[in-house]
Amino acid sequence: MNQIDEEERKRIIESSPVGTFALMAMVVGSMVIAWLFLYFGVFIPRGGIN
Amino acid sequence: MNDAAERKLALSHLWVAFIAFILACFMGEYQVLERSGFVPALESPAVYFASVSTHGVLMAFVLTTFFIMGFGYYTATTSLKQPIWNIKLAWSGFWISLLGTAMAAVPLLTGKASVLYTFYLPMQAHVAFYFGATLLVVGSWFWSAIMLVMFKQWKKANPKKPVPLAMFATTANALLWLWTSAGVALLVLFQAIPLAMGWMDTVDPGLARTLFAWTLHPIVYFWLIPAYTAFYVFVPKQAGGFLFSDEMARMAFIVLAVFALPIGFHHLYMDPEQASGWKLLHGIGTFVVSIPTLVTGFTVIASLEIAGRLRGGKDLFGWIGSLPWSNSMVLAVILSLLMLILGGFGGVVNASYAMNAMIHNTAWVPGHFHLIFAGTTVIMYFAIAYYLWPLLLKKPLFSKQMALVQLWTWFIGMGILTTPWHVLGLLGQPRRISSVVYNTLLTLAWKPYELAMIFGGLILLGSACLFIYNLVKTQLAPSTETFTEQVEYAETYHPVASVPEYLNDFKLWNRVIAVLMAISFGVPILQFFFMDTFGSPAWGY
Repeated sequence: MNQIDEEERKRIIESSPVGTFALMAMVVGSMVIAWLFLYFGVFIPRGGIN
Repeated sequence: MNDAAERKLALSHLWVAFIAFILACFMGEYQVLERSGFVPALESPAVYFASVSTHGVLMAFVLTTFFIMGFGYYTATTSLKQPIWNIKLAWSGFWISLLGTAMAAVPLLTGKASVLYTFYLPMQAHVAFYFGATLLVVGSWFWSAIMLVMFKQWKKANPKKPVPLAMFATTANALLWLWTSAGVALLVLFQAIPLAMGWMDTVDPGLARTLFAWTLHPIVYFWLIPAYTAFYVFVPKQAGGFLFSDEMARMAFIVLAVFALPIGFHHLYMDPEQASGWKLLHGIGTFVVSIPTLVTGFTVIASLEIAGRLRGGKDLFGWIGSLPWSNSMVLAVILSLLMLILGGFGGVVNASYAMNAMIHNTAWVPGHFHLIFAGTTVIMYFAIAYYLWPLLLKKPLFSKQMALVQLWTWFIGMGILTTPWHVLGLLGQPRRISSVVYNTLLTLAWKPYELAMIFGGLILLGSACLFIYNLVKTQLAPSTETFTEQVEYAETYHPVASVPEYLNDFKLWNRVIAVLMAISFGVPILQFFFMDTFGSPAWGY
């Protein structure tokens, strides 16, 4: 494991998890896009049940 | 503390769970082969449905219940640092559940309980199946009671102190299970057993499906909570960091326990016995329960980010590469979260009231629940087993490298199995079929996907065998006196000294559950006693 001093350690622990925010935004965004694709690209074009 | 008795108790439960698991894996591969039609000699609807019913019961009821009980006992005794309350009662629960499993196995394996693991009435099984399932659940209620008593005892002895997170999560699951299993218990007690015994001539399938819907969704969270528990209490420490937030974890478990229950009607979107307003209400609740999953995803990933940065990771995503990927717990959580994202998307589609019509009762549905259960959940059961086995046996794991290979192959196999399954659903293949009997362009188009699924199933079967092999070799290895490892629970950087009572107890939440269940299931169940309905005679065995 990388050796870091106590100050750096404290800075890491108390800083905002920006990478996590970015990952979560990407995941939620991808899910919304995929849902819209399935709804408008697959479900709606199939039309009603005759 | 000498915890030899507790370790033996936990290990016995876990072995029953994993024996059920490996048997069910062989059945799963047979089923995908049989259904494909590539091997005509295998084709037999009778054997197929007996196998698929046994596979479902072994995986969804036996693996899960025994695993959760064993893991719960170990978590309780190690996190609270006290012996199991009334260990004789715990062993009684174990033997009752085991007796129930054996009793249900006989009709299942002889084709007299081919009613699938949902056992929707009026499909009828031999009465021994219902008695066996009842005993399995009754044994698990002993576990729930022991967890609740230990939780209460600890709180009484440690007033104002926060209950250790691992025990808080386990108790949430015990409470959830008592509420969850009540629906199916009512179904079995008042409908299935009287019908199978010949005390009733007909049964109301609408009521039966409503009662099963009570159980059918929260049971998924009963299975999932041990995985989430490992996410919160093991992963941050194993990754070399800290838990991002203890309070967020507690809130996630509370919301899971409360909102997993009153939402089961998304399984009944296409059923006629419930009005669309009730279905919409449950549908909205279904989206609410996605919140604790998002909170869990955030908290776990944030904990991993702290660990990755403490290990020297830089930039926005550089910390991911710095994580200890060679640690089986860390690898498993990453693979589990990836499958949770994909499976979660499938779940959102299932829960969408309109779009559900597109995939309802198609191959999409088993594809979805295999990805969420066999993927997201069971891969964490593996990781927990790899972590606990050395602690339970006081011996090192036979092969850490083999464990990593096994986790990767499970992930790859699950992807190859479930992706075509979802596609087949969109192409219109129904679920619960034993073979494709039509020779049309449509069904011929399914063949490449069937082939891929057989291949995925084979990888999974090989992976499952590796898992069991590693556990057996560890068990049979000679004891070492030098093994000193202890269970390590993750903590926040600043240890939590106190939490509000609503984040440290379930009295309030138990009442909230009661109110929500009365609102969401009260009228939908009572209506069957006030309106004219027409029963159905038993069908099947």
